[in-house]
Amino acid sequence: MKAVYFITFFCLLLLLAASEANNRKAAAIAVPEPYHLELPPGLPAPVYDLSQNPLTKQGIALGRHLFYDPRLSRDSSISCGFCHQQFAAFGHFDHALAHGVEGRIGTRSVPTLFNLIWQKNFMWDGGVNNLEIQPLTPLTDENEMGMDLGVLVKRLQADAGYRKMFKAAYGTEEVNSQRLFRAITQFLATMISFQSKYDSVMRKAPGVAFTPEEQEGYVIFKQKCAACHKEPFFTDYSYRNNGLPYLPNLNDVGRMRITSSTGDYLKFKVPTLRNILKSSPYMHDGRFFDIYQVFNQYAHGIKPNASPTIDPLVKNGIPLSDKEQRELYMFLNTLTDPGFIANSSFSEILIQ
Amino acid sequence: MNLRNFHLYLPAACLCLLLFSGANTFHSGPMQLQFTHVVNGKPMALQTGIYTNAVGDSFNITMFKYYVSNFSLTSSNGQEVSLPPAYFLVNESDTASKTITLPPIPEGIYSSISFLIGVDSIRNMSGAQTGALDPVNGMFWTWNSGYIMAKLEGLSPVSKQPNKLIEFHIGGFQGTRNTLRRVTLTFAKPFALPQAEPVVMPIVADAYTWFGQPNTVSFQHVSSCTTPGAQAMRIADNYQHMFSIKRD
Repeated sequence: MKAVYFITFFCLLLLLAASEANNRKAAAIAVPEPYHLELPPGLPAPVYDLSQNPLTKQGIALGRHLFYDPRLSRDSSISCGFCHQQFAAFGHFDHALAHGVEGRIGTRSVPTLFNLIWQKNFMWDGGVNNLEIQPLTPLTDENEMGMDLGVLVKRLQADAGYRKMFKAAYGTEEVNSQRLFRAITQFLATMISFQSKYDSVMRKAPGVAFTPEEQEGYVIFKQKCAACHKEPFFTDYSYRNNGLPYLPNLNDVGRMRITSSTGDYLKFKVPTLRNILKSSPYMHDGRFFDIYQVFNQYAHGIKPNASPTIDPLVKNGIPLSDKEQRELYMFLNTLTDPGFIANSSFSEILIQ
Repeated sequence: MNLRNFHLYLPAACLCLLLFSGANTFHSGPMQLQFTHVVNGKPMALQTGIYTNAVGDSFNITMFKYYVSNFSLTSSNGQEVSLPPAYFLVNESDTASKTITLPPIPEGIYSSISFLIGVDSIRNMSGAQTGALDPVNGMFWTWNSGYIMAKLEGLSPVSKQPNKLIEFHIGGFQGTRNTLRRVTLTFAKPFALPQAEPVVMPIVADAYTWFGQPNTVSFQHVSSCTTPGAQAMRIADNYQHMFSIKRD
């Protein structure tokens, strides 16, 4: 009888050893290395649930590769990074409207990309409700990347390089849209911009202070802009009609298209002012190439009864003297984050 | 077996248990739903079948698919048992999709089944999904996040759309635009689970209901609905009546 126990015990040991060896073997093949995302202190918890897509070095690297790969578009001509340029804080420098495959042009300007994990909804009209699926829109829009998602998954699955990268990030070579979107999301999640001069002043970093003009500009900002462009994100993420004249050629009704509510006619997302001087042109249709045009629009361009949905805060215009405009400019300049714009971990990579 | 010597076998029994513990899934008698699609009682034939809606418009169907999810069963004593999350896209053009295997069901005697037509609001907001919920299936709106709960496309000579299209993409999951509908089907008689063989429940979905009651649709006036809103709500109110258990 003792022998039976002994043999059983031995078998159990063997089993344990075998499963242990298996685990170790798996570990040797591919275990993505966790990436710790450093969040600036004093901010609310991110909206995006990072626990459903834990960041890894390999996942972020895959996302970055996808972001800069033109093969994500139908004719392999346009990558995400084509329109989202790092030196423009991932907006599209000097382009009013988004460009796409076959020289097509969309109806809205390219938004900047940073601090996205704190954002609840995406696109100028807030039509997209989760960061992970945001790339689906430009990817499939016929005026942007014009791609069929199924075709893309097959294209990537057929590519040995991608199979290797997916394996490194996820443990197996399988490509599916969830893995694709989550990898891009991992890369986007790392794009955090809270290292501007403004941030240093707020943190009371030694030796950093606003100049008198910047300080005056900050006072004006708080009086006249901060209700919508709320600190610390410099947007309250709301949708508002800021009084811009409607352009019949673009026929963009804004958020009304999403909610079907006439109360949302001509409402667009309040954009962040961080990195604003790096990310012209301005407004949802990029109609202003210079920030002073924006100041003048608010100061002199608002027609109070142009539309029933015009926001009460801008309805009567926002008076801004030439001096105030200059000071405001100086303050906005402190919202540029040079470290973000030059951060080599976000920069374009060569796609083989 | 000599019970006095049972302890002799105990270690071996443990070993057996351990060896097979990896395969502890529910093997005995899963429940399957087998969907058949009809139009006003006639079998649905994509492209070739010609049907007439409640107001007399003739039409055919080129695409018919819908999500079912969030299953629960009610036992004969009235207790409702919610099954683990499961999402299925039933597609007329894909035979395999028309038989679905439900998640494991606890032992009991059941008298009815209930499920959602569509995808619950949480999954509409949870980012990238896989399987039946993968946006690659063409059932996810890219410009206004959310699943298309059910899709019916075809042609009707009275349609004013280009190419005489009729196009009904029903979706919307929030507030007054929530097209999710719960269906409850009562079995002919209660039955016990598990059973040795899979229980196959034949379910008929009649596309005629989409345009029938209570909100009669004329393709002359409404030949397309591809956004969340009042029209989608009316169609959902209609199609919540499309399912019945097939009785022989």
